[in-house]
Amino acid sequence: MTEEKESLTGRQWLVDKVDNSIKEGQTTIPAIENGICQRCGSSCWARLPSGFLYCRACVGLGRLDEGKLLVRQTAGSHYPARAGMTWTGQLQERQEGVSRFLLEKFAAKEDCLVEAVTGAGKTEMIFPLLAEAFSRGCRVAIATPRIDVVNELYPRLVAAFGEVEIGKYHGREEKEAANEQLVICTTHQLLKYYQAFDLLIIDEIDSFPYAGNPQLHFAAGNAVKKTGSRVFLTATPPEDLLKAARQGKLAIVRLNRRFHGYTLPVPRLDLYVKPFLTKGRLHPKLARRIKMAAKSGHPLLVFLPRIAQMPQYFAAVKRLLPDLRLATVYAQDPDRLEKVEKFRKGDLDLLLTTTILERGVTFKHVWVIIVAADDEIYSAASLVQIAGRVGRDKQDPDGLVLFGYRRYSRQIRSAVKQIKEMNRV
Amino acid sequence: MSLCLFCDQPFTGDLDMRRLLLPGKSKTSCLCPSCRQQFAQIGPAFCPQCGRQQDSGEICQDCQKWRRIYQGNFLHNQAVYCYNQAFHDLMVRYKRYGDYLLCQVLQELAAPAVQKLAADYYVPVPTSPEHRKKRGYDTVWEIFTPLLPLTPLLAKKAGAGAQGEKGKKARMQAKQNFFLNPEFRGTITGKIILLDDIYTTGRTLYHARDAIETAFPKCQVESFSISR
Ligand SMILES: [Zn+2]
Ligand SMILES: [Zn+2]
Ligand SMILES: [Zn+2]
Repeated sequence: MTEEKESLTGRQWLVDKVDNSIKEGQTTIPAIENGICQRCGSSCWARLPSGFLYCRACVGLGRLDEGKLLVRQTAGSHYPARAGMTWTGQLQERQEGVSRFLLEKFAAKEDCLVEAVTGAGKTEMIFPLLAEAFSRGCRVAIATPRIDVVNELYPRLVAAFGEVEIGKYHGREEKEAANEQLVICTTHQLLKYYQAFDLLIIDEIDSFPYAGNPQLHFAAGNAVKKTGSRVFLTATPPEDLLKAARQGKLAIVRLNRRFHGYTLPVPRLDLYVKPFLTKGRLHPKLARRIKMAAKSGHPLLVFLPRIAQMPQYFAAVKRLLPDLRLATVYAQDPDRLEKVEKFRKGDLDLLLTTTILERGVTFKHVWVIIVAADDEIYSAASLVQIAGRVGRDKQDPDGLVLFGYRRYSRQIRSAVKQIKEMNRV
Repeated sequence: MSLCLFCDQPFTGDLDMRRLLLPGKSKTSCLCPSCRQQFAQIGPAFCPQCGRQQDSGEICQDCQKWRRIYQGNFLHNQAVYCYNQAFHDLMVRYKRYGDYLLCQVLQELAAPAVQKLAADYYVPVPTSPEHRKKRGYDTVWEIFTPLLPLTPLLAKKAGAGAQGEKGKKARMQAKQNFFLNPEFRGTITGKIILLDDIYTTGRTLYHARDAIETAFPKCQVESFSISR
């Protein structure tokens, strides 16, 4: 990892020792204090042969050792005060309500939580808030845990705010940092910022347990200015944020309908007695389901719980439907972004995937099958998210969501219940 | 419960026979079962000269080239793991990011094969001085030092750069950067096994071998790399 050579507003970076490279408007602190990494907030326990501690949690950003210093550029850049919005779309009445709420809370410098079902049009709902922030010359970041979501948000925001400088940052893209007014990045990238933003929006806050993830917590606190405010967006709010909302520490607003006004597709439950795959062959019922879905002409996402099984499933589906354009994708897949793009463009018919595509991504007309929905890897929230991939388009608000399972788990029950509840409101 | 050093997930660590061989370390594995599964052992067929995984037991293309370059005086290398995505990620984190603790994962992967090595001297391929300074450790030395008695016979020139940052062609054209460690006194005879983390083109290990053979022509030199 390359260290930043130039100092940019609101960034923090490591140096070995105090020297004359440290300029006015910069502060320095010891990189590790009381065993806590000052960049990511994790407690450090691993030691180098020298005996010095280092932080394993954020090692990908350049190793942070005891004895090094963290330099923070606090002096501010100024941004033109103009809304910069080129988006001319219309919000629905329900979205409009949420949007107004966000504007009020931003004016009052309060943090807030937006609970909105997947497909509720969360991104559009924040456009007026962004425009308001830009018109005050504020600097804004939108962070999300997933690279795919960053890649999907970026072009939408570039189109919606043609007059604003926008930067995109994630670990898979080597790019010199710049001082853009709007930063779209993975939550991990927030660790490079210190009191940089007037408004910080964190999307899909639940895809990691917020409370159980000290890094994310730390980053969300550090990257925003003391005078700034935060917005958390989620379909399935984590318990600690709900608790903060109940205690009045966090404003909360809910939106239960999708922006096209239709309900969420309710998952079809499909019980299997025998294994899904035996000796390289799919269970006949699962084979029928996949065939049926493929024949319908809908692009199909098939979720598998384990990477290790993917080659066998790939071979089995290939044998079943030799003409189908098929690929596997998982987090460490070097071609992951390309394959997702091909699937989006319709150059692939079926994608065998792990949970990396469970949320945030939109594929038109997609249908979904979860193999082994009872696997421990799926929380109720992730099952709801996966179901939420389907029916996001006004033209095609319904579609197949199939949970294949051998044991009716608590998570499956809870996911179906949540979806039905959301549809009722 | 232990924490997996590779994925940070908690898992119930069974007593691992491989770990029993490591002196002074925890006797449970430092890899969870699903991470361990991602590391693929070489076999059943491999190149008998460099240890690369392949469909047949014939000498591979690269090795035939080495035989031509060295007029038959080739280096015999033993390797244990395929250089797959998991191994690549492990090395990026251990070498590029400098996550020192991962030397324990490499030790655990290498230990069973290392126990079976038999030589008079074990010589690790050295890191360049500037990389050692930047990382705070010598990558190969730290992996093998708890497993074998090491002899620091070689040193690497400053400014030589790391092989890992070069393309295949640039690696093959790299110049000899190893020389006899000036602090080493005495003479050496018998069998030497050179130790490295990855055998990529073979260029590094051949250079290391050449440096030793020039100084001690009577020695018999072989090599061991954790991955190929
Ligand atoms: Zn850290
Ligand atoms: Zn693991
Ligand atoms: Zn070979």
